[in-house]
Amino acid sequence: MLTSRRKIIKTVTAAGAFSLFGFGFSHTANKMLKTVFDKESTLDPISGYAPKPEFNVDLKTGELTTNPNQTVSYTMCMGCTTVCGVRVRVDNETQQVLRVTGNPYHLLSSDPFLPYETPIKESFQALSRFQEKGLLSRSTACGRGNAVLEKLRAADRVKVPLKRVGPRGSGQWAPISFEQLVKEVVEGGNLFKEGHVDGLRAIRDLKTLIDPEQPEFGPVANQLAVFAPFKDGRLRFAARFAKASFGTVNFTGHRSYCGLSMRSGYASLLGNWKKQPHLKPDFANAEFLMFIGTAPGNAGNPFKRQGQLIAKSRSEGKLKYVVIDPVLTNSDNMAASDRSRWIPIKPNTDGALAMAMIRWIIEEQRYDEMFLRQPGPAAAKAAGEASWSNATHLVIVETGHPAQGKFLRSTDLGAVFVTKKGKKPAAVVIDSVSGQPMAHNKAGEAELFFTGDIELSDGSEVAVKTSFSLLREEAEKHTLEEYSSICSIPADTLADLAREFTSHGKKAAVDTHGGTMGSNGFYNAYAIVMLNAMVGNLNWKGGTSASAGRFKEIAAGPRYNLKKFKGKVKAKGVGLGRQRFPYTKSSEYKRRVAAGENPYPTRAPWYPLSPAMSSEYLTSALNGYPYRLKALILWSANPVYGIAGMEAQVKEKLADPKELPLIVSIDPFINESNTYADYIVPDSVLYESWGWASAWGANLTKVSTARWPVVEPAMAKNAEGQVIQMETFFIAVAKCMGLPGFGENAISDKEGNQFAINTAEDFYLRAAANVAYDSGAVPEAKDEELALTGVDRIAGLLKSTLKLEEWRRVAYVYARGGRFENSDQSYKGNKLKHRYKKPMQIYDEELATARNTLNGEHFIGTPTWVEPKLADGSLLEKTFSTSEWPFKVISTKSNLQSSHTIGIVSLQQIKPKNAISMHTLDAEKLGIRSGHKIRVITPGGAVTGVAMVRNGIQPGVLAIEHGYGHRELGARAHRIGNTIQKANSMAGYGVNINDLGFSDPTRKGLSVLADWVVGSTARQGLPAKVERV
Amino acid sequence: MGDEQHRWAMVVDLRKCIGCQACTVACTMENVVPPGKFRTIVSSYEIQLEGETRNMVLPRLCNHCENPPCIPVCPVQATYQRNDGIVLVDNERCVGCSYCVQACPYDARFINPKTNTADKCTFCVHRVEAGLLPACVETCVGGARIFGDLKNPQSEVTKLISKHSTRGLRPEMKTRPQVYYIGLDDRISGKVEGTASLWNLQAAMGKENKS
Repeated sequence: MLTSRRKIIKTVTAAGAFSLFGFGFSHTANKMLKTVFDKESTLDPISGYAPKPEFNVDLKTGELTTNPNQTVSYTMCMGCTTVCGVRVRVDNETQQVLRVTGNPYHLLSSDPFLPYETPIKESFQALSRFQEKGLLSRSTACGRGNAVLEKLRAADRVKVPLKRVGPRGSGQWAPISFEQLVKEVVEGGNLFKEGHVDGLRAIRDLKTLIDPEQPEFGPVANQLAVFAPFKDGRLRFAARFAKASFGTVNFTGHRSYCGLSMRSGYASLLGNWKKQPHLKPDFANAEFLMFIGTAPGNAGNPFKRQGQLIAKSRSEGKLKYVVIDPVLTNSDNMAASDRSRWIPIKPNTDGALAMAMIRWIIEEQRYDEMFLRQPGPAAAKAAGEASWSNATHLVIVETGHPAQGKFLRSTDLGAVFVTKKGKKPAAVVIDSVSGQPMAHNKAGEAELFFTGDIELSDGSEVAVKTSFSLLREEAEKHTLEEYSSICSIPADTLADLAREFTSHGKKAAVDTHGGTMGSNGFYNAYAIVMLNAMVGNLNWKGGTSASAGRFKEIAAGPRYNLKKFKGKVKAKGVGLGRQRFPYTKSSEYKRRVAAGENPYPTRAPWYPLSPAMSSEYLTSALNGYPYRLKALILWSANPVYGIAGMEAQVKEKLADPKELPLIVSIDPFINESNTYADYIVPDSVLYESWGWASAWGANLTKVSTARWPVVEPAMAKNAEGQVIQMETFFIAVAKCMGLPGFGENAISDKEGNQFAINTAEDFYLRAAANVAYDSGAVPEAKDEELALTGVDRIAGLLKSTLKLEEWRRVAYVYARGGRFENSDQSYKGNKLKHRYKKPMQIYDEELATARNTLNGEHFIGTPTWVEPKLADGSLLEKTFSTSEWPFKVISTKSNLQSSHTIGIVSLQQIKPKNAISMHTLDAEKLGIRSGHKIRVITPGGAVTGVAMVRNGIQPGVLAIEHGYGHRELGARAHRIGNTIQKANSMAGYGVNINDLGFSDPTRKGLSVLADWVVGSTARQGLPAKVERV
Repeated sequence: MGDEQHRWAMVVDLRKCIGCQACTVACTMENVVPPGKFRTIVSSYEIQLEGETRNMVLPRLCNHCENPPCIPVCPVQATYQRNDGIVLVDNERCVGCSYCVQACPYDARFINPKTNTADKCTFCVHRVEAGLLPACVETCVGGARIFGDLKNPQSEVTKLISKHSTRGLRPEMKTRPQVYYIGLDDRISGKVEGTASLWNLQAAMGKENKS
């Protein structure tokens, strides 16, 4: 009907293979006759199979009556990395989860969210029609959050420990006991009749060096790597085992193949490479937002909160926003009229857009001068600013000077500085009033554009420029017209964007994310996020926030110290991804220099700035550079599927036990990575486990989300009667090996009493006690609240694990699904209450003094425009020219699928498979129409999928939604014991963008294309060609 | 059946819809709708305007029409309207002839392959009667779906309808649908001259649109 209107093109995105409302017109008389006899009776002639409601609320009195056969519990979702607080409705008898919606206390699911002290009964009432409260206190789950409960009962779920019985990757497994699993993994031996395999006991050697010639690599224990990519609230338990107890440095998340480019851009801006904090706009109060390479409401983290706030702000608030991305998504909304707008851009050119805006803003003097001129915290405070920057700090630019690229320090001018860990002498600025060089923390307003020579205390002179001058120079390297032709956005539009962005004071912000994951991603991201500094929006209402953080849980908390323990190891050594360690301090560098050789290039890049580089782990281990692995533990990890180009690089070597002798996976499902495992340890799914998570961003108040088993876990139990999951496994391994931090005396309280970690509960419940007492103790829960929320099921555990005075307070926390600061703590006047303290860095000294180890060159210390590159800094275009590869492939994030949700019927019924989007103009040239089968070819591989021809995409771009094209997760049938699983063909539908990734020809050995500065995997802008099949 | 003191209706504020399909899946879960069949879904459209391409999303469901064309065609009176406006199917009476499925101008009905009877959105009447909200409304992330009583002058739906210009789908069918859309009317009717762009591009855009 709607499709018949002119100018309307219905996309195949939503309804896909299933038409809108089913197949209404296909019935025949034959079928009609059949129905009279075949009718299946339902629970109710009107409501069919719908279970009875969980509550009944009297609309006159508001009185709540609960359904005695169901329980509603507040816990945590794990459908994506946002990990929202949810309410889970469970059938008491069958222990089946009936439905999942949001937790009304939780900021990630509700806006407004309920005050924390709200009684449970009122929280349920608040969801009802009583006084129409449910419309205001609505607390939601997204499509995925509604659907993921299917995973609990998935047919292909692993519930018992498995050991491979065929060659690696052959899909043949034997169920084994937990005790056999632990023994074999710890002790090793001739486990597969393929020869001896070292067990974890042999590998956990903290004394013997991996390579005495290269002592910086650290001990043999580093030859165990543990992947823990999902911050689902249990990661710090895994970290305790891997880093602090076993003692390997190689414990890694997923950042390097997720959003490392964005995180690195912010690391530079916010001056913290180790933790990589990042900013999110204050969606509720901003007036103008630019989303570059990110799509709020369509995807991103926190998914629902961004979507909800943007929906509200564009209809009821003052917000206007622009989404700048190669692909049109649900971030745009035509009904919102001019409040929302999509501007297409060429992939990998966001930096040109941002530098153009920076150039225009500086030239037109539209930057927030008051903010930028404040050189330190004291000056900023006096000026009424909420943050400050290093825009006025002087950088030594004298060519060949030993401190070139570094800030001029007060000590250079003769100041006395007492060395303190983590502290540097003050930087120097030109004080505006006196016109003299002064320490940044002493000066008032300072000069933004000083360039000149400064006399040092030793009498020498050195050429310096302010950070802001250096930024201006970089921005002025190209004209607006040049930037325009690079990114394909008209120069007038660039200027208009810059004008609009600087027309709202501090109530404007930019946000970016995965769209920057190209091989020039770092500088694109740094340039984008620098726009926030141009308007000085950090810590302002309507500006940006670095998150309010969380309560102390798995920490040195107010009740228990869950960080420190006797015998805790401080893992040491160069990480497997050659990260956070300067190559210039390595033995290799010293040896090459001593031999008179050029120390550059290295076999593979070193990443002195980046944190754990998981996307380098597999290739590094298999290349043996810096060193090989003896064992790999994958927990909830699927790097082979998730890293662009990885599968083709590693599949043969991973299948060869000689290359990597022991692979253990802890996972409820068999995926594209653990299909190569030697052992699979079953793990909990969703609402079966314990955990403590928080919001990833966009939280102006503190959030600590509790996950607790609201249904009986489906995994098998060990001989001690504990369900088998990650924690059970690590505890058993640690105890078997006698490692510190587990078993007896693993936790201490304030009085020095010692407690054991023999179960997951021993750990997480004490974290809960920390939460309950942090920043003032919560009240004690009454029996009624325990009964209403199902916390009565775990009351026995709380009592037996915790102290008498603790357990009811902990129950209060679990009853509410965590602990949340009230929303009235968001602001203090027109500023945020929780503020980021460090300055915004217009110039990043750490960046400027680091080098690319393939070409030996320093990086530029401010944002700048660089084209997509290879690892050695040469242009991608030079090796993979547009004439040969006329298209660019990009990955888009799905609003339905995560990397691990394929096969869920209630999701896949909406979009059974992904399509390959291309622009109408490109398709016309190639004779391609929507629905045609097409093949996309890159230097690394090819995929064949279905074309979707549309106008909502930049010409020359092929876009593929991530999450489809699985080869495992049910797509392939494994043999377990004598049972062959039933394959789920739906799980294999569509194509995987990551099959199109490729290795970097400027690197030796196995590799994937990555950003040339920080090593983030390139999945955006892969050169490609396309053909009809 | 149903209290005539109420008239249940839904307002869908399209400006707030993010197309996340939470409603679609929540409905599937709450009502145990068979795979591939939808009592509600969000359709998504790419709209080509002069000079720009826009995204549009449209949540769809049974309109619980004031003048429901599905009812008179039912040979066994299995489908009927309550006094409070909710249109329902009694699956014990329904013979699965699918006349109602064909009569519905909104494609809102289907034959449930498990029961072989006509199936469609009930406004989650079992929840509404328990003092709760329909599943799709409870889980609407953008807050686009608002459910309530048109006969209550204080209700949110009444207030929204009086405040905003709303429109139902396919008014020419004279069904008097009771799902009211905010932001639907002038956006898809071909009148695109109102696509005021941001900033000073407006003049240029206006010129294009007139051509």
